[in-house]
Amino acid sequence: MQQALTRKLESFEPLSDQARWALNGLVLKVRQVDARQDLIQEGDKPDNVLLILDGFACRYKVLPDGQRQIMALLVPGDFCDLNVFILDEMDHSIGTISTCQVVDIPRRAIDEITVHHPSIARAFWWCSLVDGAVLREWLVNMGGRSPVQRIAHLLCELLMRLEAVGRVTDNSYAFPLTQTEIADTMGLSDVHVNRTLRELRALGLIHLKYRVLTILDVERLKAFCLFTPNYLHLRNTRWGERRALSWPGRAQEG
Amino acid sequence: MSEPGNVETLIVLQPIAVDTASPDREGRLVIANGLLVAVLVHLSELGHEHPGRWFMEAGFGRLHGLRVPAFPNLEAATRWLRRHLKPA
Repeated sequence: MQQALTRKLESFEPLSDQARWALNGLVLKVRQVDARQDLIQEGDKPDNVLLILDGFACRYKVLPDGQRQIMALLVPGDFCDLNVFILDEMDHSIGTISTCQVVDIPRRAIDEITVHHPSIARAFWWCSLVDGAVLREWLVNMGGRSPVQRIAHLLCELLMRLEAVGRVTDNSYAFPLTQTEIADTMGLSDVHVNRTLRELRALGLIHLKYRVLTILDVERLKAFCLFTPNYLHLRNTRWGERRALSWPGRAQEG
Repeated sequence: MSEPGNVETLIVLQPIAVDTASPDREGRLVIANGLLVAVLVHLSELGHEHPGRWFMEAGFGRLHGLRVPAFPNLEAATRWLRRHLKPA
């Protein structure tokens, strides 16, 4: 189960056996959380770093009129925020979408592991930087792409992020989001999400059944929404080869 | 679009076919006191969570950009529109 964490970090930074062993020590106490439960709410004081080991969670805010906006999806291997304990209080909530395996990592454990393992500290920096890059891409997505391209882009991004942590088989992955949750993520109405998914199906690009999404033609879907994976900065995926080439020597096990 | 005081907004629903790039075609232009304020579309049986409801496909003026759940019928839609068109 902790594999999701090491796989994610290794997609940014090669890790030694000692570093991997130390990471396993972070994820000893795993708890299961049901779907659609809050892990931490806006206004709470964050004490620990939350790590998702399995399932989908999200960051969200609720406007006074009840309208929810999901600002990020957290998938296996994702931290809620590595430096969250510096904040006095949460400025947004984090909740599960599906049943999740969650680890609460105390601040001290994060401090210790980064002091003793510079490669892990660097990989943690990668995580934070990529979280920021994903948020920027989502802003572009919301502001600049049509609804159908917007959703296609999200599906391409999830394919890559889940593939990096070993959660994709034959271009299929678990997709627990309801149409309302997609709508809350993409700033669209349920009705538009429904029509958009239907259009992507009709174009032969995706298949969605029993909460499993299959991308029928990855290259066509990427071309359809002009997906460029550079902002994910992954090196251990089929799209990561270019980065490995530009960083000679860094892709070796360190 | 609305007169101040107790004068109720006059809402007229005019049938129109709408291209939604989906089987949802049957629509209504919503005209409030002579101004086009919204377009409602009837959700067809195909695939929607709540087929048969009326969805605000587009809103103009103060209705622009609002995300509203689909209405169970045209009466409910009209009630909601009347409420949201009231001068602040």
